[in-house]
Amino acid sequence: MAEQNDTSEQPLSLRTLCTMRSLLLHPSTPQHTVSSILETLARSPSHHALKLLSDAAALRPDLALSPPLLPSPQRLAVEALAISLTRLNLDDTRFASLCFGASVPVRAWMLRNAGAEFEVRHGLLLGVLLGFTKDPFPHVRASALEGLVGFCERGGESKDVGLVDACYRRAVRLLRDVDPSVRFSAVRVVASWGLMLAASNSDMKAYWSNDIFAKLCSMARDMNMKVRVEAFSGLRKMEMVSEDLLLQSLSKRVSGHGKQKETLGQRTSEQFVMLATNVAGALVHGLEDEFFEVRKSVCESLRTLTSLSSEFARKALDSLMDVLNDESEVVRLQSLETLHHMAINGRLKLLEKHLHMFLGALVDNNWDVRYTDRKILKVVKLNYLTLFKSSVDSLLGSLDSYPQDEADVFSTFSHLGRNHKKFVSLIIKDMFEEVETALEGNVEFNSARIAALLILSISAALLNADVGRIPPVMFSYAVTFLGRIYNAFSDIMDRDALLACLCEKSRSTEYSATNINPGEGEQQFPLFEGDAPNFASNEVIGSKIDSHITREQKEVANDQVEQQQSVYNEVTNLINYILAKLPDMWPRIQSGHTNEVLRSLRCLKELTTMKFDSLGSGDADALAFTLLYLRIIELLAEVWNNLLPAKGLCYQGIGKLEFKLGKLDRRVKELMSRFIGFSAEEELNVLELMLLTYTLRISKEEISCINHTLKRLSSLYLRVESILKESSALPSNFLVELGKVLSSTSINGASCSPLQFEACLKFFSLKQFVFHGPIKHVKAELSVPNIDFEHPLPFVSGLPVGIQCEITLHNILSESRLWLRMTLDDGFIQYFFLDLDCSEGSEEVRKCTFVAPFYRTAEADCLILKVCIGSECLFENVSPVQRFGGPKRELVLLCNEKQVYLSKVSKA
Amino acid sequence: MAIETLVLGAGQEVGKSCVVVTINAKRIMFDCGMHMGYLDHRRYPDFTRISPSRDLNSALSCIIITHFHLDHVGALAYFTEVLGYNGPVYMTYPTKALAPLMLEDYRKVMVDRRGEEELFSSDQIAECMKKVIAVDLRQTVQVEKDLQIRAYYAGHVIGAAMFYAKVGDAEMVYTGDYNMTPDRHLGAAQIDRLRLDLLITESTYATTIRDSRYAREREFLKAVHKCVSCGGKVLIPTFALGRAQELCILLEDYWERMNLKVPIYFSAGLTIQANAYYKMLIRWTRQKIKDTYSKHNAFDFKNVQKFERSMIDAPGPCVLFATPGMLSGGFSVEVFKHWAVSENNLVSLPGYCVPGTIGHKLMSDKHDKVDLDPNTKIDVRCQIHQLAFSPHTDSKGIMDLVNFLSPKHVILVHGEKHKMASLKEKIHSELGIQCYDPANNETVTIPSANYVYAETSDTFIRSCLSPNFTFQKCSSVDLCNSTTVDRNLMPELQVEDERVAEGVLVLEKGKKAKIVHQDELLLMLEEQKHDA
Repeated sequence: MAEQNDTSEQPLSLRTLCTMRSLLLHPSTPQHTVSSILETLARSPSHHALKLLSDAAALRPDLALSPPLLPSPQRLAVEALAISLTRLNLDDTRFASLCFGASVPVRAWMLRNAGAEFEVRHGLLLGVLLGFTKDPFPHVRASALEGLVGFCERGGESKDVGLVDACYRRAVRLLRDVDPSVRFSAVRVVASWGLMLAASNSDMKAYWSNDIFAKLCSMARDMNMKVRVEAFSGLRKMEMVSEDLLLQSLSKRVSGHGKQKETLGQRTSEQFVMLATNVAGALVHGLEDEFFEVRKSVCESLRTLTSLSSEFARKALDSLMDVLNDESEVVRLQSLETLHHMAINGRLKLLEKHLHMFLGALVDNNWDVRYTDRKILKVVKLNYLTLFKSSVDSLLGSLDSYPQDEADVFSTFSHLGRNHKKFVSLIIKDMFEEVETALEGNVEFNSARIAALLILSISAALLNADVGRIPPVMFSYAVTFLGRIYNAFSDIMDRDALLACLCEKSRSTEYSATNINPGEGEQQFPLFEGDAPNFASNEVIGSKIDSHITREQKEVANDQVEQQQSVYNEVTNLINYILAKLPDMWPRIQSGHTNEVLRSLRCLKELTTMKFDSLGSGDADALAFTLLYLRIIELLAEVWNNLLPAKGLCYQGIGKLEFKLGKLDRRVKELMSRFIGFSAEEELNVLELMLLTYTLRISKEEISCINHTLKRLSSLYLRVESILKESSALPSNFLVELGKVLSSTSINGASCSPLQFEACLKFFSLKQFVFHGPIKHVKAELSVPNIDFEHPLPFVSGLPVGIQCEITLHNILSESRLWLRMTLDDGFIQYFFLDLDCSEGSEEVRKCTFVAPFYRTAEADCLILKVCIGSECLFENVSPVQRFGGPKRELVLLCNEKQVYLSKVSKA
Repeated sequence: MAIETLVLGAGQEVGKSCVVVTINAKRIMFDCGMHMGYLDHRRYPDFTRISPSRDLNSALSCIIITHFHLDHVGALAYFTEVLGYNGPVYMTYPTKALAPLMLEDYRKVMVDRRGEEELFSSDQIAECMKKVIAVDLRQTVQVEKDLQIRAYYAGHVIGAAMFYAKVGDAEMVYTGDYNMTPDRHLGAAQIDRLRLDLLITESTYATTIRDSRYAREREFLKAVHKCVSCGGKVLIPTFALGRAQELCILLEDYWERMNLKVPIYFSAGLTIQANAYYKMLIRWTRQKIKDTYSKHNAFDFKNVQKFERSMIDAPGPCVLFATPGMLSGGFSVEVFKHWAVSENNLVSLPGYCVPGTIGHKLMSDKHDKVDLDPNTKIDVRCQIHQLAFSPHTDSKGIMDLVNFLSPKHVILVHGEKHKMASLKEKIHSELGIQCYDPANNETVTIPSANYVYAETSDTFIRSCLSPNFTFQKCSSVDLCNSTTVDRNLMPELQVEDERVAEGVLVLEKGKKAKIVHQDELLLMLEEQKHDA
């Protein structure tokens, strides 16, 4: 060490530095050795020493690197570095003295890292950085610029617009520097600081954005590849650019002034004239650059730029399509990714002239290219039939060349069909003929091609009630290909649901092309007991259904019953069709295949909603009923799952079960009291569900107060009995058993045994709800006008406040007892009786306005009141849940809770 | 000091490129080409103007050849062997390899086919090539004391280079022919940002702006693909070097991607041999080919086979590259005779065709009947596809290069007169650079930079080493007449670094010029006062 101290004026050799490095990093090096190394390094002006120290500081945070021994700038440099790397504040004066010190490498190092690493006062930091952009040494200029970039990237912001402006201008000037590394960094500063400048003034944002765009574009012809790459990646950050400039960047010819639109305003068009030559053709040059890095960068930037203007997107598309001929795979892929991005944003407007390139990529040798191209086809909206046809043909062609792509090609067909229903219906005839000949004739057929055509045909109508011109038999054909094609629909439904859908569609008679007139509802939608698909083993049954369907089709065709079919019939048929599937699910619920059933139920729900949507006429009441019914079965399945012996009832499960049971209870009550117009048979079905729910509750004695439930159960049972007597229908096994248990149980519940009730459950089986006639949905609409979050209702605490409620009631019977329920956050509930006599209108729609008083205005600055309308469950004749002044029976809510904001009147 | 430029050829015309530049008694001849359009004395530049004494060796410091095209190298053998120039000739390695082939080919055509008197013999070509010194890209060659030259990549054809020359402080670049956009086998021109006094640039497409190369490639591929998929034959008449390779790379790539199996043929002759040259000269091609050649040499065409005369009437689709280009005779015309009669076939003409060739006739509107010679008429039924491929930069490229280099003066050569005039005006008005378009045998003289070397004082050096910048607020008055003034109302912050400006140049009688720091100057003056 002594030797080194003597020669400290000379730079240390690399070898010495290496030794020092190992000594420094070794944890067991004695402290005094470390200090003398540090001392030596401190005197050495080389940037190797700085690097070594920074490494040391990073790897050995425990090192004490701060004894201030020498006042020389080098000493300070070391110190500052050490300090900065331990993330402490660097003194402003030290920073400045380092930068202005005699050692140029130190200066460059400091500047380069200044922006990103040091906590120096912004004014000083930026001043120093800006100043050094004028340095005669190119690498110092470049470092200063990099420092500015680092400052920006770290999220630094300068409030001084003048300074930002100066930095930007300085960088713009340095774009013409002789040294490529300076130009490189200058481009980065122009992009980052330019955006900062644009953001600083919203009035000038457009102006500056255009300016940045032009400056970056002017670097498109720089001779240095890295500079060009950086210039184009800078474009990625653009937030706005005027359309004419964007378009100019695609054309090497400078468009004349005359073409400027009047609306652009003088300022913009004057700016355009100034910038146009810089911008002209920049992107085209970039796309035909020699280096793939540049071309790739342009393709990436086009993602951003195409989202700025649709006209530009349209023009840029031509260029992007040409890039599909690029020699580099990376670039081809990137351009496809950009096209995909455009397609998602709706900016991809394909034209006939693009097809050769675009569809050519479908048979590209490269899997990624083919895949990405199909990815675009899945989302793109084709505007012309010819485009659609060519796409279909090319996809089919690619299936021949690359059979290994089958799965994804099928999926593409499925998307393509769904996105272009109209086009599918226009070419369905040809497809049908081809499929028909292939499947029925003895000709050798290309099964992949047929499967693809089937997917295309069915996909359009799958989610749509209206199968349009698609022959139902296509759906039957599709069933035979189920195993091969179901994956193409995996994004919307599973195999079971697809099968269900196909079966249903294949029965459709809306096929106008064969002139089959729809017959009576019952004939069209036979309530097929037993032939509903078994959800477990599709393959075998699938073919059985197939034969069944074809037979049925012929029968219907023979019938030729000419009768107008009302929408109502359609609705009835639909509902019955859906509800018919439920009884078959019951055994599976019992055997614990809950998830499977739940999945099927969800699909059914979706299907229902979609069907109703497509029916258009909108029997909302029937829809509400069906959905509620499905929801109940769903809950039932979930509850049943918890009861299964195999699962046991673990301790944690109780809360959940109780919760689910509560939900089920509420839903069933809703079903009972929110719909009117049930026939006896229908009512019986609902009541049985209700009995089942109560039995479930009783059988889990931990869960509820048995006595109360038992009372309700008994009273309900009486009602069931009376209905049974009148209708002469036979009671189900479950009812019979339940009756036996009830008769042996005294009403006070003393001898009630949950086990007996549990035994009854075994006898329950889900019966089909046969939907006969129109039912009406009881519902209410509640609004509290002029009050919202921003305009709360004033109140004085302690005094009642009147809440004006506008209420619309649908299908409310005159004997109904309606209540307005007002709930506070803390659980306090206040009821207000709604007198129907005060309302205007018929039974179907009544309208009224009430001012409901709310009494408990607490000592609070603001309150949130939840208001809703409920109806008493009239069917429950059980001793009421007596509350003072409140409803005598349980309430079923008729609308969603509405929030009312109250705020205390200030004393001012 | 002045730079004197004597244009011996390609002044306001295309052909026989030859420019003699004189700087400070050094004379460099850039290119030594011949004009293909003339057969009389006009085909060579008027070399007598170089030196009245006819002593070429003392009159010229060196000759620089930019690339192997005959309009740039055609007169070289004549100049060295017949006129007796013995000085050094510089060209790049590929040019040195290919130029003798071109010269020999030309000699054969002239003597063997047309039966003309030969201007130089094969031996003379060989002798001539012995005088050539090959240079590498970006290699600085000290030709003489005070004369440096350096080659930069120019694109255009393989081995083409732009040459930088520096005599004393005067710096200039002669571009030769160059291309600013890369094609499938060659890269784009590449040069450093230099401080030039003079740029001599070609201006073949002085007014044309070409659209994207991609569009041309797409059209070409589409036409070819369509033709072969319908079972047709495609004839592409090209010259041996350049276009044939470019298009073949394009087709190979497409064939590969689309899994096409249709054969591609090269007619016998130079072409296969030329491919061998390209394989060796891989370093002069574009980046992608350079990057991947160790795995796969792009000039190893997988699908390409040799074409035999017997295959002309063989059935089935194919693509044939046949020499010579422009359908100017030879084998390509022979094939054309057979194939032109079927509407299934396609003739693809890449690039320019000289008037008088069949190619030129096909490109004109009326081409259904073509007279081969007074006795033969061909009923042209095939499709004609014209390709606007060109290895020259367009006017945008010229502007971009001039803008990038920002020289003090520009001289335009190698272009058509009226188009050059328009480009000259454009360079002057848009870039503010003085521009000239001399005709043949005219001389342009421009001033050049001349630096005075001065001693410096230590104080000044020290002050130069330490940063010394100041900030100034100044409002930019010059922009105030624009409507964009509102942003300029705020004073602009500008940074100034005064360290060099603090120097003062002191010229004393009998002493060398010296730069001292301004603080020193006072001291010096005081000293002198004192002495006095």
